[in-house]
Amino acid sequence: MTGLHNRRIGLLFALFLCLLVMAGARAAWLGTVKAGELGERANTQQVEDLEVPAARGTITDRHGLELAVSEEAVTVFANPMLVEDPVAASAQLAPLLGRSEEDLLEDLSDRDKGFVYLRRKLAPALGEKVEKLVIEGIDTVTEPRRTYPQGAMAGQLIGAVGTDNYGLSGIEQSHEDELHGSDGRRRLVKDAMGEVVSIVETERAEAGEDLRLTIDATLQERVEAIMGEVGATHMPKAATAVVMDPRNGEVLALANWPRVDPNDLGASPQYARQNWAVGASFEPGSTFKAFTVAGALAEGLIRPGTTLEVPAEIQVADRTIGEAHEGGGASLTIAEILAQSSNVGSVMVGLKLGPERFDKWVRRFGFGELPGIGLPGEAGGIVPRPEDYSGSSLGNLPIGQGLAVTPMQMVSAYSALANGGVIHRPHVVAGEIDEGRRVISATTATQVSRMLEGVFGAGGTAQEATIDGYTLAGKTGTAEKPDPETGGYSAYKFFSSFIGYAPARNPRLVVSVMVDEPKGAYYGAEVAAPAFERILEFALPYLRIPPD
Amino acid sequence: MHASPYGTSVKGFRDGAGPRFVRMDPLLVLATIGLLACSIYAIASATKGDIEGSPNFFVYRQAAYAGVGLIFMFILSRVDYSRFREWQAGLYVGMLAAIVVVFAVGTAARGSRRAIDLGFFSFQTSELGKVLLILTLSAFAVDRMRRLGDRETTSRLVLLALVPAMLVIAQPDLGSGLVYIAIATATLFVAGTHWTHFAALGGLAAVAIVVVLVAAPAAGVEVLKPYQMDRLTAFVNPTENPAEQGYQQAQSLVAIGAGGKTGRGDAATQTKLDFLPEHHTDFIFSVVGEEFGFMGAALVLSLFALLIWRCLRILTMAKNLYGSLIAGGVTAMLMFQIFVNVGMTVGIMPITGVTLPLMSYGGSSVIVTLMALGLMQSIHAQAREMALTKGRDIAL
Repeated sequence: MTGLHNRRIGLLFALFLCLLVMAGARAAWLGTVKAGELGERANTQQVEDLEVPAARGTITDRHGLELAVSEEAVTVFANPMLVEDPVAASAQLAPLLGRSEEDLLEDLSDRDKGFVYLRRKLAPALGEKVEKLVIEGIDTVTEPRRTYPQGAMAGQLIGAVGTDNYGLSGIEQSHEDELHGSDGRRRLVKDAMGEVVSIVETERAEAGEDLRLTIDATLQERVEAIMGEVGATHMPKAATAVVMDPRNGEVLALANWPRVDPNDLGASPQYARQNWAVGASFEPGSTFKAFTVAGALAEGLIRPGTTLEVPAEIQVADRTIGEAHEGGGASLTIAEILAQSSNVGSVMVGLKLGPERFDKWVRRFGFGELPGIGLPGEAGGIVPRPEDYSGSSLGNLPIGQGLAVTPMQMVSAYSALANGGVIHRPHVVAGEIDEGRRVISATTATQVSRMLEGVFGAGGTAQEATIDGYTLAGKTGTAEKPDPETGGYSAYKFFSSFIGYAPARNPRLVVSVMVDEPKGAYYGAEVAAPAFERILEFALPYLRIPPD
Repeated sequence: MHASPYGTSVKGFRDGAGPRFVRMDPLLVLATIGLLACSIYAIASATKGDIEGSPNFFVYRQAAYAGVGLIFMFILSRVDYSRFREWQAGLYVGMLAAIVVVFAVGTAARGSRRAIDLGFFSFQTSELGKVLLILTLSAFAVDRMRRLGDRETTSRLVLLALVPAMLVIAQPDLGSGLVYIAIATATLFVAGTHWTHFAALGGLAAVAIVVVLVAAPAAGVEVLKPYQMDRLTAFVNPTENPAEQGYQQAQSLVAIGAGGKTGRGDAATQTKLDFLPEHHTDFIFSVVGEEFGFMGAALVLSLFALLIWRCLRILTMAKNLYGSLIAGGVTAMLMFQIFVNVGMTVGIMPITGVTLPLMSYGGSSVIVTLMALGLMQSIHAQAREMALTKGRDIAL
């Protein structure tokens, strides 16, 4: 008995030890070999790291009026696994979230998912209503949302922000680094029922910097209104106006028509969303003649009093250049050439310069390179190199055809004439002022400036435009647009513009008005000059600029 | 090793004059106290956040159960266990009654009716049944010791065990039912039943398992509740459907694995965030694994090894067959529960709802286990007494 007994008991103990060692070995295997993998699994089922978007900086106009602000919006999400009655829930939520019931039901019925966004960045008032419903499985979280309190004001300039809080266009994009701030991180710990038991801010979100623009909202509003009327009257493809202080390069107003409301970007057509003022390249036409003259003056080839025998037309290689306006075949001073916008006279001046010197002066004024305003989509235009000139190029380029410039380049180049020959880099963000760059001598600038006053005088192309008490200087432009179908210029598509400044003897504002393909009237004097006049009529007294 | 197969000599001992030595096995006491301490420590950290406002709710209760159980253990260690042989019929009927009464007045918990609510304490009669079954089956075997090789003895003993086992499984408490069967097997084994009987019983068990798990469901008869079926089969691949049956086991594996070598301490989130189900009862070993790592698990397993070693040693030194059989039953009960529970938490055994002796939270389980250990101490004490009276010392 005893022998059997002991043997059996030994067997029993051996069996138990075996099993215990087996369990122990398994526990050891789990705790060593599998530890990393299983530990990871413990974390992933319990811990969720969320990005906490930083509140973007506020964009204001030069006086502190808010143009773009971040507000706390409510994002509604669901855990479909926890939603007991998806049908009832979607019926309750649909009107608040602005989505159709069927659409919501589809999201809420997907029981395989533990998370689905129902609506991002809902207005706080609506979000509060959603929270009050207290539906199991429906939850909310606050996220900053970008709104533009001034609506469509300076829409293309300010730009817009995507759902992920990154700037998509305009200043929102170009100044992303300053505006965005640094996103924070939030660690959610959830228990087995999916309830959040703790939220730890692992990384604080730091709000972005505020940005003050050089834009004057009141002026901007007025300029946009005036451009709206230009749009309504002339039905162009697009129109743009810029108001800049030539003394420092501050852009006070930058308006594009049609307007775009960044609060509802989708409502505007894609083409309207770009900032024409910096991004559109066009053949400027007559407004460019001022630079041909400035170059020839600077080179000493002509003097303001120089008189040229200007024929009705001029042959340059295979091209015959005539006048757009009636008349011609007269003896004209340089000032008269500009005032009457004589094509033949301008070409004669251009021919005096010759390709190399013409090109040198054009580039000194900043054409062919980025003006450096630093906005998305900024273009530099196209200026052909002298070695690429055809024989007839100088029959074309001096009158602003055959090259492409942007509105901002034109404004910048005119500011040199207005500012005694010095260009300050144009900028829209306050404080981005530079030292300035001398382009031409003060004497030359003054000489051209005086001639541009003549445009408003008797016989000038803009003689109808006057503002009581102020002297104006400026230039009309009516460019023929290239016609891709014929390879030549279109007979009915024009680019009408006006650029000038006031007060002419002590310029404080450079104003450009550019209208692409107006219908009906197309002369710059008819289409753009009235808008130029109206902008200054408002701006000069508004900015308390004394009459001269 | 034992003087008489009968308990009569014990009477002689008790009638005999002399000091009443109560000699408990100190190592067994050490293992017992050590495991209770581990239990309270693990429960303390696992249930800190379970009941708001009273972080020590389960700790105080478990400590109280341990205290009561230790008193029972002490009393039983001084009681002559042979007395129970005389009461075997009463004990057996009492056991059946206790199990049956649960069906009438029991309180339901998670779909099963296992306990009688005594107001201050919810009493699980199937736990007490384990000890009563050990006492009565052993007594039956001793009575028929001259016919232990008979098939009839074997089959009657098996039948005696199966009746309460089936009742308990019907509560449903599958785990306890399996423990009853393990006890019966151990009793036969220690009694020296022939291997061929075991083979036959094994065959019958295999057939029964096939019938219960495969044939009966196919025929539309529900022997096991669906959740029991799922639990039994889910362990084969716990990650296959982690949201359902395999969930508990998968979470247990994650807990033990995440604990690594030295544990996660306060970062034991599997336990604290309720991912680990039943963390203070059935899955207490996973809690140890997560919070204290493999070091903690190894300590607990070592204490269990010590416990079983001392139990088997007592089995060999018992002064009579009744003592040996009781010791065998208790040892088998402990071994079975330890392995099945630990095996469940590490994913090598199915989930059967078997508690980890001395570790799992629960008054019935802790007290009854300590009562069983009291019986072991009684067997030890009396064996020592007899050795002393015979002038022989049995070395520790």
